[in-house]
Amino acid sequence: MPQRLVVTGASGYLGARFVERAQERGCEVVALGSKPPGSTIVATPWRLGEPARLTAFAGATAVVHLAHDWASDRFHGDTPGNPNLIGTEMLARAAREAGVPRFVFASTNSARPRALNAYGRIKHQTEERLRTQPRSEGRVFCARIGLVYGGPERAQYGLMSKLARLPVLPMFGLDREVQPIHIDEVCDGLLRLALDPPTDRPTAVLAGPAPVRFGAWLRTLRRGRLGKSLLLVPVPIALALKACDWSRSISFIPTVDRERVLGLAGAAPMDSAADLAALGLSLRDPMRALMQSRPARRRLIAECAALLRYVAGAPVRSPGAIIRLARVMRNDPAFRRALPSLGVRWPPLLRFVEPIRPSMGHSLARRLHLAAMVVETLPSEQARRRPGLFAVAAQLLLETLALPFRLLFGRVSA
Amino acid sequence: MTDADVIVIGSGPAGVSAAWPLAEAGRRVLMIDGAAERSPDIATPWRQMLGDRLEALQPDDGLSPKLRTPEAREVTGDFNRWSVLETDEFLPLGAMARGGLSRIWGAFVSEFDDNDLLGWPVSAEDLAPSYRAVAARIGISGSADDDMAASYGSTGELLAPPPISPTATLLLERYRATKPDKDFSLGHARNALLTADRSDRKACDLRQACLWACPRGAIYDARQDVALLRRQPNFELLDGAIANGITRVDDGWEIALATSERRLRAPKLVIAAGALGSLRLVAPLLDLTRAPLRLLNSPVMALPLLVPKRLGSAPPTQGYSLAQLGFRLAVSSLPSDYVTGGIYETAALPPSSFAARLPLGRRAATQVVRALAPALLVATVYFPGGYSANTISVQTSADGPRIRIHGGVAERFHGVARVVQGRLKKIWRALGAYALPVGELATAGTDAHYGGIFPMGGTQPHGTSRFGELNAAPGLHVVDGSVLSTIPAKFTTLTIMANADRIGRHLAGAA
Repeated sequence: MPQRLVVTGASGYLGARFVERAQERGCEVVALGSKPPGSTIVATPWRLGEPARLTAFAGATAVVHLAHDWASDRFHGDTPGNPNLIGTEMLARAAREAGVPRFVFASTNSARPRALNAYGRIKHQTEERLRTQPRSEGRVFCARIGLVYGGPERAQYGLMSKLARLPVLPMFGLDREVQPIHIDEVCDGLLRLALDPPTDRPTAVLAGPAPVRFGAWLRTLRRGRLGKSLLLVPVPIALALKACDWSRSISFIPTVDRERVLGLAGAAPMDSAADLAALGLSLRDPMRALMQSRPARRRLIAECAALLRYVAGAPVRSPGAIIRLARVMRNDPAFRRALPSLGVRWPPLLRFVEPIRPSMGHSLARRLHLAAMVVETLPSEQARRRPGLFAVAAQLLLETLALPFRLLFGRVSA
Repeated sequence: MTDADVIVIGSGPAGVSAAWPLAEAGRRVLMIDGAAERSPDIATPWRQMLGDRLEALQPDDGLSPKLRTPEAREVTGDFNRWSVLETDEFLPLGAMARGGLSRIWGAFVSEFDDNDLLGWPVSAEDLAPSYRAVAARIGISGSADDDMAASYGSTGELLAPPPISPTATLLLERYRATKPDKDFSLGHARNALLTADRSDRKACDLRQACLWACPRGAIYDARQDVALLRRQPNFELLDGAIANGITRVDDGWEIALATSERRLRAPKLVIAAGALGSLRLVAPLLDLTRAPLRLLNSPVMALPLLVPKRLGSAPPTQGYSLAQLGFRLAVSSLPSDYVTGGIYETAALPPSSFAARLPLGRRAATQVVRALAPALLVATVYFPGGYSANTISVQTSADGPRIRIHGGVAERFHGVARVVQGRLKKIWRALGAYALPVGELATAGTDAHYGGIFPMGGTQPHGTSRFGELNAAPGLHVVDGSVLSTIPAKFTTLTIMANADRIGRHLAGAA
């Protein structure tokens, strides 16, 4: 018998991935409210604050409550009328009355009575309410989730990914510490709480065990995804909040939510190591994980194709060659440093930024060497005629032309 | 209860050479080696050149093309993981696979003469029957009557040399016509390469695939001997068994394995794990913490030679990439003070291995190398082991001894190397070849001509008798390169094999 999970917020950033992950583990998922687009799971209509139909809970092992209504926070703040508060309470009661053994609530590591934003305060109040419900012990579990990254570029992660595309970024709260955790790790932690929780941890912190400064995190995002560095310009929080207000009054620019800004500014680290260990989670290195992200993979393929194109002197049409180079390159430290984008677009330009001394310590020299090794295994290359005197002379002429540029740009780098 | 009369650790050239006379004399021989044979898929060029797991797609690390093949990466990589040797300025080469380092060797062979054996408790006469036996077994081709024949020795039977490349031919003809230096000789290389078919191996068909494991078995490697030994009823091979500890017991020696709970016992133990592998195995038996040990090796340089006369000609479509020619240059009047080397064709080698060294952009370097290939040779120059200055220091730790190898050359080496390079440059020029200014001294250890760790004739506890029996551990015979008393500038494998054969004969008679 597969275990059955009732999930709210299933169409959200976290929820959609959670549904996939739960299904991969052989769970049967029922969405309360909307379901992820394209998903085949059963969905029962429901909104936060509405009573849920009891039939939805039949045979369920756990309710995993991921839904959160941001608009209500804006409108109600942390007043008792906030539907996030009331709705969660109603849902938990209904689940208990239907005899569902567990209720997992997605909270935040900014859940504090005096959190800067309403979100943190509401999550804290909700946790308190859930805990005072009858028979909450061993049944209600709150997951205090840190800064989630990875997966589709939506929600907070989508916003930060967008910001980290800029080479120069004015930003507030750079010294605040955040606790990044990969979306799959959060999902695994939630699944564990839903299916087989360590009963001594009614509240578990699902967040990176080693807090990093927000500024450093933004740099990691840009470095891991795009292989580029990021220049951060510190902005006072007050100015950032003003900017949010202005953004609302100007109709043609996107609105930035005060709540999100305050959420970031108000983050304070929570100890998570023991909880992660109890849940059997060991977190991956975010830089490595980001280097597997979709933009990083796209960059990898584009760069490998460009390197091969330059070394071979003609486009390399073998997908196998690109993949072989990519398989090695993605683990090479050189991959943390993007090739110049002009060089990716017009590979012959790479000649102008090659180092003078072809040392393997130089990231471009090393990449070109790997590409050359791949190129010489291609049957087309092996069949190619030996270059004539004219071709060699032309190459040497180009070399001479490129020399001043190489002296200028071919810096030694890791 | 014993598992055999003799246990041989290692299935490389030394191990099989010691095992043959023992097996033929009817002794029960148990051979163990670290890894079973893997047959990787090499059906496509990329799999052959980069490895089916891309193990050879690595940044250029200054090694010779031979050491950068998938096979070499795998064989030496496994050894490095197991041996946990700490090194600085030294490249430790060892193998854990069946056949040992002979799977990736250059197959150049030469006999040692009495001058080479100065300081050994063994004479050329002692080795002669073993040279004969080994030569007959592995198959050696070369010239019996050119100027290098005397240096390479004439004890063993010899097959005709394979046809050499046009560029090498040019050099040899010029040499015969001019004789540019009275201290310099040049002749056909002598390789463990079949030029006539045998029952189990086929002759070289000049398909230029030497670098990536000859599919015909024309180049000798010790796996061929292991296969033949296994047909002997009193020989047993234990595959994938990594010896991890050796202890003395009442009736001989006991070996603990890292790979299983089984313990193996025999009255006599033959260690042939390769010089550095044997060091790792034997070190725990001895107290080596007081003074550093010596480690001899042959300092080696590689020099690209350009033969302008061949520029613009078509690269050969047939050939082999083992050494084409061999040379010798006397450095001083001392008979053991000479350098030797091989001259190699580059047409069949991947251009990337040369392009990485040129001070040009990658695209231009590749084109230049491809254009030059038909006119390009590479000469290796080996110096006597006396010029090496490596030390092995051993410290005790909770997990057993920690072994650290510090590589280097003697102070006087650099002066000698300059003189030798200068003289060779002149000689090449007289032969119509020009040394390109990119040759350099390889990291110590790259040559894999190791010796002098447990020297035969040495009186210290880690010295060995003339039969490789460790002074501090009677009944334990080391038969690989680690017992060579000195390292001349010659290629050492044939002598390691002959010496192991000699010790094997001794044990067969004594056991």
